[in-house]
Amino acid sequence: MNVRFDSTLGAARASVASLVALSLVLGLAPFASAQVRGSASSSSSKARKMTEDQRASHVLNRLAFGARPGDAERVRKLGVEKYIEQQLHPELIDDAAAEARLTSLEVLKMSNGELLAKYPQPNFLLKQMQREGKLPSDLKDLRDNRKTPADAAAANTTNKQLDANASMSASGAQPNAQAATNPSANAQGQTPNPLYPNAQTPVAVDPNRAEYRQAVAEFYREHGLQQPQKVTAELQASRIMRAVYSERQLQEVMVDFWTNHFNVYAPKGADRWFLVSYDRDVIRPHAFGNFKDLLVATAESPAMLFYLDNFQSVSPTANQNQRRAAAARFNQNPMLNNALGVRRDRMPQQPGQMPVPQRQKRGINENYARELMELHTLGVDGGYTQKDVQEVARCFTGWTIIDPRGAANYAGFVDEARTGTFYFNPRLHDDGEKLVLGHKIPAGGGINDGMMVLDILAHHPSTAKFIATKLSRKFVSDNPTPELVGRVAAAYMKSNGDIRETLRAIFTSPEFNSPENYRAKIKTPFELAVSAVRALGGDTNGAPPIHQWIGRMGEPLYQYQAPTGYPDTAEHWVNTGALLERINFALALVSNRIPGTHVDLSRFGADTSKGTTADKSRVIDEFAAVIMQGDISPKTKASLLKQLDEVATNPQESASASMPASNMSATGAAKMNAATDTQANAMDAPAGGRRGLRGQLAANNNNNAPASEIARIAALLLGSPEFQRQ
Amino acid sequence: MINRRFFLKSSGIALASVGAASFAPSFLQRAALAQSANNITGGMATGRRKTLIAIFQRGAVDGLNVVVPYGEKNYYAYRPTLAIPQPGKAGAGDAVIDLDGFFGLHPALSPFKSIWDAKRLAIVHAAGSPDNTRSHFDAQDYMESGTPGVKSTDDGWLNRYLQAQPDPKASPFRAVAMTQNLPRVMQGRSPALAISNLNDFAVRAGQATQVVQGGFESIYDQAAGDALRGTGKETFEAINFLKKVNPSQYKPENDARYPATAYGNALLQIAQLIKAGVGLEVAFTDVGGWDTHVNEGAARGQLAARLTEFGQGIAALYADLGQRMDDVVILTMSEFGRTARENGNRGTDHGHANAMFLLGGGVRGGKVYGDWPGLDSDKLNEGRDLALTTDFRDVFGEVSTRHLGNADLSKVFPGYAASAAKFRGVLG
Repeated sequence: MNVRFDSTLGAARASVASLVALSLVLGLAPFASAQVRGSASSSSSKARKMTEDQRASHVLNRLAFGARPGDAERVRKLGVEKYIEQQLHPELIDDAAAEARLTSLEVLKMSNGELLAKYPQPNFLLKQMQREGKLPSDLKDLRDNRKTPADAAAANTTNKQLDANASMSASGAQPNAQAATNPSANAQGQTPNPLYPNAQTPVAVDPNRAEYRQAVAEFYREHGLQQPQKVTAELQASRIMRAVYSERQLQEVMVDFWTNHFNVYAPKGADRWFLVSYDRDVIRPHAFGNFKDLLVATAESPAMLFYLDNFQSVSPTANQNQRRAAAARFNQNPMLNNALGVRRDRMPQQPGQMPVPQRQKRGINENYARELMELHTLGVDGGYTQKDVQEVARCFTGWTIIDPRGAANYAGFVDEARTGTFYFNPRLHDDGEKLVLGHKIPAGGGINDGMMVLDILAHHPSTAKFIATKLSRKFVSDNPTPELVGRVAAAYMKSNGDIRETLRAIFTSPEFNSPENYRAKIKTPFELAVSAVRALGGDTNGAPPIHQWIGRMGEPLYQYQAPTGYPDTAEHWVNTGALLERINFALALVSNRIPGTHVDLSRFGADTSKGTTADKSRVIDEFAAVIMQGDISPKTKASLLKQLDEVATNPQESASASMPASNMSATGAAKMNAATDTQANAMDAPAGGRRGLRGQLAANNNNNAPASEIARIAALLLGSPEFQRQ
Repeated sequence: MINRRFFLKSSGIALASVGAASFAPSFLQRAALAQSANNITGGMATGRRKTLIAIFQRGAVDGLNVVVPYGEKNYYAYRPTLAIPQPGKAGAGDAVIDLDGFFGLHPALSPFKSIWDAKRLAIVHAAGSPDNTRSHFDAQDYMESGTPGVKSTDDGWLNRYLQAQPDPKASPFRAVAMTQNLPRVMQGRSPALAISNLNDFAVRAGQATQVVQGGFESIYDQAAGDALRGTGKETFEAINFLKKVNPSQYKPENDARYPATAYGNALLQIAQLIKAGVGLEVAFTDVGGWDTHVNEGAARGQLAARLTEFGQGIAALYADLGQRMDDVVILTMSEFGRTARENGNRGTDHGHANAMFLLGGGVRGGKVYGDWPGLDSDKLNEGRDLALTTDFRDVFGEVSTRHLGNADLSKVFPGYAASAAKFRGVLG
């Protein structure tokens, strides 16, 4: 899906009316009547305010991933303004408890080099071992006899989302990266067909493959290695857990926002290893800082350099002889270079390629230059030309990555600490004069060329407007008014691109606090899943099953292929298929059918099957109060009551469904322990979890009833139109 | 053809008077649904339905290496490592498959040859968007909105086709995207479904499913005025409808072998829906991995791998549908082509015009359509890409008019002077 953010602006006017109508449906008695009057005049509606209860709920929905039980009261007590101020300063919020939950995710502390070394791609590792003459012969035989990587997917491919990973990496960017470090492939201008061994012959299931995989797994165990999928799985787990547990909720919201703004696609080549550092060292430290610092950090990040191909962008005018000489020197004695402490910016070109005798010819690549302006800063109508794209691309030549796949590290040429890190290679840089957006960039600037470009872009009014638009869309409504965007952009310009000040302009705006925008945003799947766990006071270790649900609903983390990131408007998320997945997620969650994630509904009261209508009504009210701060319409409530009655008058359903109910609340604590215990197992499962989820669904096919009436009511609330909004 | 068009025209008039039915009480629509459901259970037949299957190659496929102008000297001059040898200049599988003495297919598309020979496969070359953007996102957006250069269009051209041909009897499966999310091209006022897996398309609550689904239906039904209400209604209708089809029992026919990939599976499920007679009229899926900036490969390699999957998928669909292909057109598209010259990374960069495939019974196949602009330097777009001679709207327009029977192109392509005079004559 590639709906442009700004492509929906035209729909804005049409949608205003429906937004007003949507707000009506929420059925808040005091609010609804106010809205009816307000719809007559939009200017007067801006003057009205939300109630304090609504404001508390609103900031918990927008600045946080929804309210946990008791959160709304806490915010009311603290005061909404104070809560916002607190959240704008995450560095002052103690988050030790949440961070303590992440200790088992070992990848989070590892460097790119360490990750490449400990979580190598099996095919890549074996190739390296073979090159070094270290490949055990039994493994070599099995490897030579097996067929193709696509076999793995042959057995069960029915879920597009889960398979996307496999098919993308088997076919998309992966071959680039493999080929870049594969001399034979380069020499022939060919890469082995990753999908089929022979273009004419479809694959058959290969018995050798299972044996081969087993041997590889055994080898990995013996040498303390792990499959690379686990890196992404743990990173995804950390994002989910932090979103659920962190007290620094706005920080997590901003991490989500910037990660999407500066999107990187994990399955592309080395990016699955680089994204850990991207989250830890690039996005998080700058989420509330100055936009320019964030921009520079992304520009220098191996994740972005790899994703948008800049690490391969080389000036066509770079001196060939100089390049060859440098390569020869390095090849003669690379260790000497290291020992002599060759400066980062003096490293010979492309050390990742050094062990490779025949370097491929390289050239300039415009990909990063284009997306930098179109998607990261100016916006597509921000006033740049194709000529600017070419000039910016020249400025960034030589911005590359040391040993991007860890091959030189494996061969002992580059130490682990520098493997997979950014460096500027002056020899590959186009040092001529450039003209970018009317600014002259003098010849001989070296790395400063790129720095100047980033400075020009970060301070450009188009960037202010573009960032203001996206932030306003994120926090206020799908179609922010030009007035709001103008004020937010002005705050950006005035503060020199200070993200905190820009956010403050949004949170203090009348638009943010307007009843029109209360619950006007559709939650993204990530927001929905996290807010549902939070609403029920549930627990999760972030193990792959909950992430797979987020994927099924349409938003797998780090798996949006295009640099646009996921669109942030309702129409992208509201469609028949996705809505059904949302409903099924709610059912799975309340029935504790998501391994690693657990909810205990016993806090919401006793079994209602035998209660009076008044009892049931009270239970529903309590639920609605906790889950949605009471924001359900009388009609929804009537439907829920009817649901309970229907079940009560259908003894067969009731009996079979309510059986496990007492079980569940009694063993809630035990199950949570079990959930924690399963973390390791769940993590060790193939991270794509292709078989895992399918199997799980099949297994539950006949036994996945929500365990009690309480659970059903919870599912209906979590799957209701109201809960899809924030 | 004339008969069919006449039929559609007159029935269009008849239906126009009931056109308000989409706003009518839901029982009216239910009646319509029940009628469509009859088709599934072998009830009254409403005549053969035409179906369009659109396949989007996201990422800009290198059309010059897909439908190779092997008769062009420049092609070989521009692509020292990427050019595919002329027919006979290399072994089978490593050389271009000749089509007409000038153009040939990439060897990975060998499954297309027999369909070409049967004159049911046509190609339009040097086609695409007249907008010069080199942004994937803009170009995909334009190709899906059907309004190149205009970003504010809020619906996709396939959806506007559905709007232009309102069908009160339409089943929930009239327009289906086998994708996770509804693609831009199908977004709009007319209902359209996004399904990633037919088997999972149900409320999953075990023994309580019926009660629970009923609860959700009632909650969504109550949500008057909420956009989600309509989505909810469509969802539950589709679930109930699909229950009758039983997709898990599907076996492809005619030895059709779909690639075991998400893309292959999407095509397989489209075939299922067509055979199940659920009233599918417009199907869509997409397949990525075409953005070959680096190490594209020639007869073998990265692009070859993608084309293998692409071609085998379409060939399987074609075989599986068998006789039904008489009423089906498969149409492929990609946002733009790639540079005529290879770049410094043995790849190609974002270009301009591209090749499109059309397959089906109504296709006048065995021919490469469109004016060939040539690859001389001065003929290239901006000095670097294949120039454009066919606006994609003329191809889409021809398909929607001559295959699906749309009468009003101006509604599908607003702001474009579409007319049959510009059609390439790919369809009879």
